[in-house]
Amino acid sequence: MTALLRARRGAVVFFGLAALTPIVVRDAYFLDSLVLILLWGALSAAWNVAGGYAGQVSIGHASFFGIGAYSAALMVTRFGRGPWLGMLVGVVLSIGAGFIIGFLSNRLKGPYFALSTIAFSQVLLIGVSRWRGFTSGGEGIPVPFRPGFATLGLGHVGWVYMALAVALLCYAVEVYLERSRVGYQLAGVREDEDAAEALGIPTRRLKVGAVTLSAALTSVCGSLWAQYVGFVDPTYVFSVDLSVRFALNTIIGGMGTALGPFLGSLLITSLETYLRATFSGVKTGFAGIYLIIYGTALILVVRFVPEGLAGIAARLRLRRAHA
Amino acid sequence: MLLGGIYALISVGLTLIFGIMRVVNFAHGEFLMLGMYLAFWAFVVFTADPYFVVFVAIPLFFVVGLVVYGLVMRGVIHASHNVQIFTTVGLSTVLQNVALVAWSGDFRFVRPWHLSTVLRAGSTIFNLTQVVASLIAVTLTLALVAFMKWTHAGRVMRATAQDRDAATLMGIDTDRVYRLTFAIGIAAVGAAGVLVAPLYSVYPTAGLQFVLLSYVVVVLGGLGDMLGAMLGSLIVAAVEVAGSYLFGAAWKEIFYFILFILVLVFRPAGLFGQRGAETLGV
Repeated sequence: MTALLRARRGAVVFFGLAALTPIVVRDAYFLDSLVLILLWGALSAAWNVAGGYAGQVSIGHASFFGIGAYSAALMVTRFGRGPWLGMLVGVVLSIGAGFIIGFLSNRLKGPYFALSTIAFSQVLLIGVSRWRGFTSGGEGIPVPFRPGFATLGLGHVGWVYMALAVALLCYAVEVYLERSRVGYQLAGVREDEDAAEALGIPTRRLKVGAVTLSAALTSVCGSLWAQYVGFVDPTYVFSVDLSVRFALNTIIGGMGTALGPFLGSLLITSLETYLRATFSGVKTGFAGIYLIIYGTALILVVRFVPEGLAGIAARLRLRRAHA
Repeated sequence: MLLGGIYALISVGLTLIFGIMRVVNFAHGEFLMLGMYLAFWAFVVFTADPYFVVFVAIPLFFVVGLVVYGLVMRGVIHASHNVQIFTTVGLSTVLQNVALVAWSGDFRFVRPWHLSTVLRAGSTIFNLTQVVASLIAVTLTLALVAFMKWTHAGRVMRATAQDRDAATLMGIDTDRVYRLTFAIGIAAVGAAGVLVAPLYSVYPTAGLQFVLLSYVVVVLGGLGDMLGAMLGSLIVAAVEVAGSYLFGAAWKEIFYFILFILVLVFRPAGLFGQRGAETLGV
């Protein structure tokens, strides 16, 4: 255990600071950023399970996010039940959707797979926008705030710990994938599927499993997000931009590394919050500036530092060890 | 149904870039959107008709393609799929938001006089804009196909598509081929953007709906197959008409995305492609 903690100093510092912050800082604005950093980090980590560890790069993960968000929101507004039950329904539905995407990943590779995941999220986007009677269509659903743990009506401090809990859950799944037999097999599938298959690794089942697990985690975060933000609308929760965002955080932080998605989220979410605060008053068009920076960052990072921040850190550590 | 011609022009560019460079250009729709804005501004500032602007757009977007190739694509042409996917996705985000910052998210409209000129063919009603737009699009598409088939440059491009290494051994400068391919593909989609501008509203994410459609077209026809793309666009246009007739206009989009996924799953090489062709270099 102590060896594990020592090997993961970075994570201990990151999550430790996140846990201590609410005790020291009471500024609502700051805590809000922290919740978002943790939630986006958890979502990116969930994406990393499929994209980084299993090598199944999806640009349709917003599908699962949207399923989670809508399940929670509809359970509260249409059925008068708690968001927790909605979260559970979302997970079940996402597992079903994850199976479909996982099945696609067995038939399709690289850009074909990416295209099919985009198409999948578009089907859900259109379906939810058009099914007005049930989902309220394009107007979206405001989620009422009811104080209490059962209804997920938490204060800022409560939300920090809630987000921290899912972040740790996703991080734990990633660590498991780095250290377990299944994880090594998955790495084999990612690096060379034919070779892995030849060694008797059940490649198809593993891929479907990884995508499904990733889908379920994404859905949980989606449900929490819906309760935290208090509003869901189809054009946002099923958008390609959102799917790209999960991938972007992970790529900037380091694909296939456990802490990478959280580092990426820390960087990108803080940047977004800062730029939004700086430019919000100037002109509405400036909302796009941080997205221009995102896009440019994405192009530069995949080209020049494909291993991301975590990779740079590892390289520096290695250099120091040699010196 | 007339839109088939425009889908074809959008899709041949995409399929050309894929076939020769082996890159799925996720930013294709954004160049379409830029074409639409070009039509809009030319119309507002110079009151220029989109049909004249097309002929300005082709060389202009050709140059844009050259520049983008040099800045962005050149470095990733031999990189892994993931790098290529995220490079073009990043490019798409950048272009969308440059448009958002520069021209705001408002819906803009191009309304030339011929939009209200109605033509009748039997019981169906067209307006002149649709008819001329698809005629120009079909002409440009056919010109491109002819270029690929009969000119020296076209042959060189096809040779590179078939076998990069062999082409290099034959003394073909593949970097030049890729640059030319990308520029031609972007010129085609830019021209298509100018042509569709009067028919749809112009806004920063306008490209998305078309490009998703053209992925459907290209996959139907077999990625990299130009004639397949032309047939695919006719099929999609027919499905669109049939779908809106059967399910109502609101649900037709779902219909072709499901068609898209089904084709990807069951005929990944396209409806007319050879089995296994999809793994060629993929």
